[in-house]
Amino acid sequence: MTNNTSEQFHSQPQAGRIGKNYVDGVNHFFPSAIIDEEWQTENQVTITVKMTSLVEVMKWLYYDQGGWLTVSFGNDERSLNGHFAVYHVLSMEGEVKSFVTVKILVDAQSQEFISITPTIPAAVWGEREVRDMYGLRPVGLPDERRLVLPDDWPEDLHPLRKDAMDYRQRPQPTTETETYQFDNQLGNDSNRIVPVGPLHITSDEPGHFRLFVDGEDIVDADYRMFYVHRGMEKLAETRMGYHEVAQLTDRVCGICGFTHSVGYSNTIENALSVDVPFRAKMIRTVLLEVERLHSHLLNIGLSSHFVGFDTGFMQFFRVREKTMELAELLTGARKTYGMNLIGGVRRDFLKEQRVKGIAMVREVRQKFSELVEVLLATPNINSRTQGIGILSKQVARDYSPVGPLIRASGFKRDVRIVHGQSLEAYGSVPIELQSMEDGDVYSRVMVRVREVFESLNVIEYGLDHLPAGAILTESFDYKPNKFALGFTEAPRGENIHWSMTGDNQKLFRWRCRAATYANWPTLRYMLRGNTVADAPLIIGSLDPCYSCTDRVTIVDTKKQRSKTVPYKAIEQYSIDRKHSPFKL
Amino acid sequence: MFKLIKTVFNTGSVTTKYPFAPMSVSEDFRGKPELDAAQCLSCGACTRACPANALIMETDEKAGTRRWELSTARCIFCGRCEEVCPTHAIKLTQNFELAVTNKADLYEHAVFSLADCSQCQRPFVAQKLLEYVLDTLAQSGVPAAQLSERRKQLQTCPACRRANNMLDSDNISHLRFIKEQQ
Repeated sequence: MTNNTSEQFHSQPQAGRIGKNYVDGVNHFFPSAIIDEEWQTENQVTITVKMTSLVEVMKWLYYDQGGWLTVSFGNDERSLNGHFAVYHVLSMEGEVKSFVTVKILVDAQSQEFISITPTIPAAVWGEREVRDMYGLRPVGLPDERRLVLPDDWPEDLHPLRKDAMDYRQRPQPTTETETYQFDNQLGNDSNRIVPVGPLHITSDEPGHFRLFVDGEDIVDADYRMFYVHRGMEKLAETRMGYHEVAQLTDRVCGICGFTHSVGYSNTIENALSVDVPFRAKMIRTVLLEVERLHSHLLNIGLSSHFVGFDTGFMQFFRVREKTMELAELLTGARKTYGMNLIGGVRRDFLKEQRVKGIAMVREVRQKFSELVEVLLATPNINSRTQGIGILSKQVARDYSPVGPLIRASGFKRDVRIVHGQSLEAYGSVPIELQSMEDGDVYSRVMVRVREVFESLNVIEYGLDHLPAGAILTESFDYKPNKFALGFTEAPRGENIHWSMTGDNQKLFRWRCRAATYANWPTLRYMLRGNTVADAPLIIGSLDPCYSCTDRVTIVDTKKQRSKTVPYKAIEQYSIDRKHSPFKL
Repeated sequence: MFKLIKTVFNTGSVTTKYPFAPMSVSEDFRGKPELDAAQCLSCGACTRACPANALIMETDEKAGTRRWELSTARCIFCGRCEEVCPTHAIKLTQNFELAVTNKADLYEHAVFSLADCSQCQRPFVAQKLLEYVLDTLAQSGVPAAQLSERRKQLQTCPACRRANNMLDSDNISHLRFIKEQQ
């Protein structure tokens, strides 16, 4: 790369500063709160604030300025500036759409920081994870249980610290028994406990749910995840180069891996101001929508299954198979497309593929429309899904969930539209934001149905109007300790990635927040007040992935008896709601 | 309801006969990588690019060989190896039926003989890679006299070459260039 173009890249972020008003606002209302201000791209700013002003600044940005908390994470920056750091990333969706990252420096000796969870509940998982992974104590965090680390992990070992033990080794287990306390906030000891898991019905990762029930009604619910934490962030930092991580991110999720791959690639491209060719952007856009297509069809199919409409399930999966073939045609693989490199994509779309692709899109659109008509005319779907599992607006506002979940609760959040100008080619394709008001399972299904049509339109447009030009930029230099955000709208909601380059051809830190991470904390509120038979349906409406190896154990706390029910039985009960397997 | 029944009947059966009939995949499908060992130089570009460490290369100094190994169990079929191969020796095939009953069948390997250093007699580079470099030089028009000088240089291992360069000898090529310029 010549110096000339290098300077040109540097000057890009200076061109416009979208979101400057938020920084000015913080300066105005909280004088001398900001220690440092750094712009990554024209719409991404990181402000380092004093810890004493953190809560006030966050509250102002979140509630007064239309901010949504997308991710909170830690970083071990002792080798850079002598401190730990905690970042809270806000997606500003008020008047001006941009990203504001609020950073605080945490003293390396005291290792304490102020928790924002009491003010902004959305930060709860992020702060619990910072506590586990970095050993930094969030002062004021109401829920001090572990989130990520298993019960048998030693108290003083924090995996993501740079001086933690080698990632290939494991410490000796410290306990044989489960020490995690499940939390019944609304009920009391008289409630029966229905544990669902540890390999959960509806989740691609094993998760353990405890439903506190009074008869058939769910009083409260608590859950824990991370039984299969794979340590990808540490793996990427210690073993893989920049290009290899793009392949690793493809495997974050078995269903929506490509959006992670794009999200990660964008972080490095944004951090280093790499100019990705427009053709590559359009190819990524098309493939992101191809992925949404198969994922939404999967969820719509499974929703049919859960309300007992199994014929519909089979029919939707038949159409879904076409979308898998579309992916195979365009990328060479049904899943894990493996298309991304830093700077663009690896494979081009040729004319033949485009022509065939468009024909397939039209076929899917026609068949899908017919099936939707059939689905909506099925009496079961209305009676089982309307008014069930309602996510109230207040809970949604407090917890910053994402995807069809929040769009079904009346909020217009979708990074493809809100931040579309800085997300691949979304600024130049025909797409509309789909949202509904009721917040129940039915609305979520309907949002997905409409988004399938939007995706089909985008794919057809993209294949038809593929711009000419290169597909990969290779002439750029890696610079150490540059960082930026990458974001994509996965089928389940926005995925946020943040990475910082290192000085050894590897990442210094990579944070990946998958969509469902933001959605889990709201599940408790959706389950409350519904019946046990609706629980799988509600959990399914979050659109986690499914594992059919599940078994459910019922403990009757009054009679001191227990009984193990296979997953099939609870699923059958969910479908026909007769012969409850829970009677002891 | 009537519409659903109509759809079901119009669709008929969509189940394929696989595995009793072959399953067709798209033309660019990324399946199992195949190595054309005759074409391979054992340069190691693929082992560096492989994100999953499915490709490895091991040098056995005693036997004077270098072994290339692919583990289909680790392979993620991304095709980075195909992309970086300078001689098109690796190609991804359309083969996706990779289940085996014997674990050893998951591995494929190729062995390349190494050239010995003309001074210390220790193997240091694949014979084929050495010949490839010399052929390339010949093709690019290096005269025969110089070529034999180059051959002498290239047949010494990096350690010996470094030692040679410490001494004032004909072996040091930059001196020759300086003389020519004068």
